[in-house]
Amino acid sequence: MKLFGLFLLAVVSQALVVAAPASTRPHYGGTLRISIREAPASLDPADSDQVGMFASPGLWRLIFDTLVTLDARGQAQPALATSWQADPGNQRWQFMVRHGVAFQDGTALSSDSVAASLRAANPKWKVFAAGDAVVIECDAATSNLPAILTLPRYSIAKRGGGKLAGSGPFAINRWDPGKKLVLTAREDYWGGRAFVDSIEIEMGRSFREQVIALDLGKADIVEVAPEQMRHAVSEGRRVQSSAPAEWMALVFSRDSQSAEEGKLRQALALSIDRTAINDVLLQGGGEPAGTILPNWLTGYAFLFPTTVDLEHARQIRSEAGGGPGWTLVSDPADPLARVIAARIALNARDAGLVLLEPSTLPTSSKVANVGLVRMPLPSLDARVALSELAASLGLPTPKFEGDPAYTLYAAESALLQSQRVIPLVHLRTATALSVNVMGWQEDPDGSWRLPNVWLEMGKP
Amino acid sequence: MQHAAYNSRIPYMLAPLSSRSVGSALLALAVLLAVPAPAQNWAGAEEQLAGKIVSSTGPKTMALEVLNRSSLSAATTDDIRRNLLTQLAVLGARFVPPEQAAATVRVSLSEDLQSYLWIAEIHQSSNATSIVMVSLPRSAPLSVEPEAAAMVLRRIPLWSQLERILDVAVIDGNPARMLVLDPNSLTTYRLQDNHWQAEQSLPIAHSRPWPRDLRGRLIRGKDNLFDAYLPGVHCRSSAGTPPPMTCYDSEDPWPIGTDLSSLNASFTSTRNYFSGSLSPGVGKQTTAPAFYSAAAVPRGATISWLLAAVDGRIHFLDGSTDQVLEKPSWGSDIASVRSGCGSGWQVLATAPGDGRSDAVRVFEVAGHEPVAAGAPLDVSGAITALWTESSGTGAVAVARNFETGRYEAFRLILTCGR
Repeated sequence: MKLFGLFLLAVVSQALVVAAPASTRPHYGGTLRISIREAPASLDPADSDQVGMFASPGLWRLIFDTLVTLDARGQAQPALATSWQADPGNQRWQFMVRHGVAFQDGTALSSDSVAASLRAANPKWKVFAAGDAVVIECDAATSNLPAILTLPRYSIAKRGGGKLAGSGPFAINRWDPGKKLVLTAREDYWGGRAFVDSIEIEMGRSFREQVIALDLGKADIVEVAPEQMRHAVSEGRRVQSSAPAEWMALVFSRDSQSAEEGKLRQALALSIDRTAINDVLLQGGGEPAGTILPNWLTGYAFLFPTTVDLEHARQIRSEAGGGPGWTLVSDPADPLARVIAARIALNARDAGLVLLEPSTLPTSSKVANVGLVRMPLPSLDARVALSELAASLGLPTPKFEGDPAYTLYAAESALLQSQRVIPLVHLRTATALSVNVMGWQEDPDGSWRLPNVWLEMGKP
Repeated sequence: MQHAAYNSRIPYMLAPLSSRSVGSALLALAVLLAVPAPAQNWAGAEEQLAGKIVSSTGPKTMALEVLNRSSLSAATTDDIRRNLLTQLAVLGARFVPPEQAAATVRVSLSEDLQSYLWIAEIHQSSNATSIVMVSLPRSAPLSVEPEAAAMVLRRIPLWSQLERILDVAVIDGNPARMLVLDPNSLTTYRLQDNHWQAEQSLPIAHSRPWPRDLRGRLIRGKDNLFDAYLPGVHCRSSAGTPPPMTCYDSEDPWPIGTDLSSLNASFTSTRNYFSGSLSPGVGKQTTAPAFYSAAAVPRGATISWLLAAVDGRIHFLDGSTDQVLEKPSWGSDIASVRSGCGSGWQVLATAPGDGRSDAVRVFEVAGHEPVAAGAPLDVSGAITALWTESSGTGAVAVARNFETGRYEAFRLILTCGR
């Protein structure tokens, strides 16, 4: 841990050394060039197939606004809604819609257009305009609706004629699905014109291609793989890293079918050497995880053990008797996931457990699958984040009841006790910046706040 | 509809004034600044956690361990531990070594994004570990004043609020008034019983969206109380108590000088800089490069000007030539202050960089070359505004404290050492 602390210090120091421009007040102008790994085929935040990919670095915020936004501390702040209030019972909410806002096609934002957008995003809600306000009637008490409305799928969008328009700080100038997106700053943006004139986003670029683009001066902002963060800093690059936010875990495709299988899952969890995975395979690019949500978001994750206990694992496996084993599935396009999956299979074998890769599985075999998943933190609001992750994985919806200080802990404990997931690590996301990128702002989850970025070389 | 979920801001005053005179009142503020802000009150949380622990264990013998997993200091942790022991004892707990205890309790002082979270893990011989916890909001950290230097730049807190502060002006009178300009309103405060009492909040009407990095300036009026200049908007007070205000779209140039060094400059209403058009001009010079800020350099009967230009360089306008100074590495905000020290007027300049801290430094301008005249005054946040006061005797700076997220306005004055 001390070594990693020094490493983090180095990351920060590096950033401080390089981030000294000739001026403090932001400059207007210039084109910001970004390279990312994901290659979304759609820009529509309501497209459920794309949300995970395009939401990760917060790029959707360039085009779209939500009624409410979360600040860096996870507290709800006004965006397209200037204020809100709930009826007793928290089932019926009213949001006052901001005046003077226009979609990128010039159409004025209205309570009707907001209601139409939200109805499309969640057909379970009854949403209607009431003068300058929008009323949302949920199917159950929803005390944290403002935080829920900050999710990308609740972006306010105008759809029609095959076109998509948002009210965000940038307008879509060119869109080659999965390849390139060019955005232009909107002079009339209600939150103030962004500092850069335009943003060009190259998509579907590997980490290696991105670093080369940065080194050749063809990109200003690139992603860095967590396991490459330390190397990137040692090579003198200007690297910014998030808090450990991206969750990596084993997820079983079905509930445990017997007490014995439950014990085997417990043995598997005890057999995994998360510290070695983090220190060796990830080069300190994360933190061992015993929970779904990271400790910096909840404050209680340390209560859940992350240490390997092979002896205990063997004992439990012995008590449970032999099992059929599992097939371990990981993303074939993710080399890091493949390596970690192989390490977990070795750990399991040391405990007498069988984890097979799909290619080694006899076709006649009927064993339960377990997947190695990587999921970005969906929200800086802990309750929303837990609910979203649970929904994504098909886990029971968390219940938040009782003592406010205890309810989140109780809800997450219940999810973990279901034995559907085995947390592995929380990964940091890292970003490398060229020397002329100024005003960099990043949320703890690694989301970028690009409208405030400006370029040192930009001229008005 | 009962539960308002979003509250409008509640302005927070840093410290009270202590005199009828604004000058001495500000001095008193400076003295008060040396007094640490009240520490966070932990008593309620300690009592609550102790109650939850005893509810779980009953009044038994116990061994207590307190671990700090948060940003709290070791001293604070010790205080909390001591008080927690007291609270538990009041509720009937007796403390013994772990091997003799009916219950062992490990309290972790943890935290999340918004709150402190205190968690007690309770182990009792026959039962599984039980968990109880309490949460309490975090308060803002203390600020520390820098040590004095030869030419001393002093910081006098004026106002702090969550919303961005564009400028603050303190107007002498009976009673004294303070004006706080933010993106939505101009709020007047009246000094009453050593406290600034909110008098009225006047909305600022504007037909176009504000630019990002919004700027604004308050000017004490000659025949009215004040004028407020914002991008594309001019607001003017009228006679009355408290004074009413009228705002209208306007491209009028902003006054950037003082009562003694008059100069007006056109502000680009969709950006964050002055266009370079000057009136009546510096000598014969009525145009200059686009600039963020300017500082007068009076020399006898003539007044030269330093401009922190958008091109990142410092320009010296002496009335006939525009010279680019190579030496100073300044930020984009500069201002001049009439101190009576040294040459009489000094230039204050922010530091370059866009980091999480900033600094203001004093410079003497000998000939064309600025020379540092004192230690920098560190600021825990980025300076977002720096304006010379109308009188020229001080400057008003605004910084955004990255830790608290609040904007803090303070007056900067120069004294001639000790």
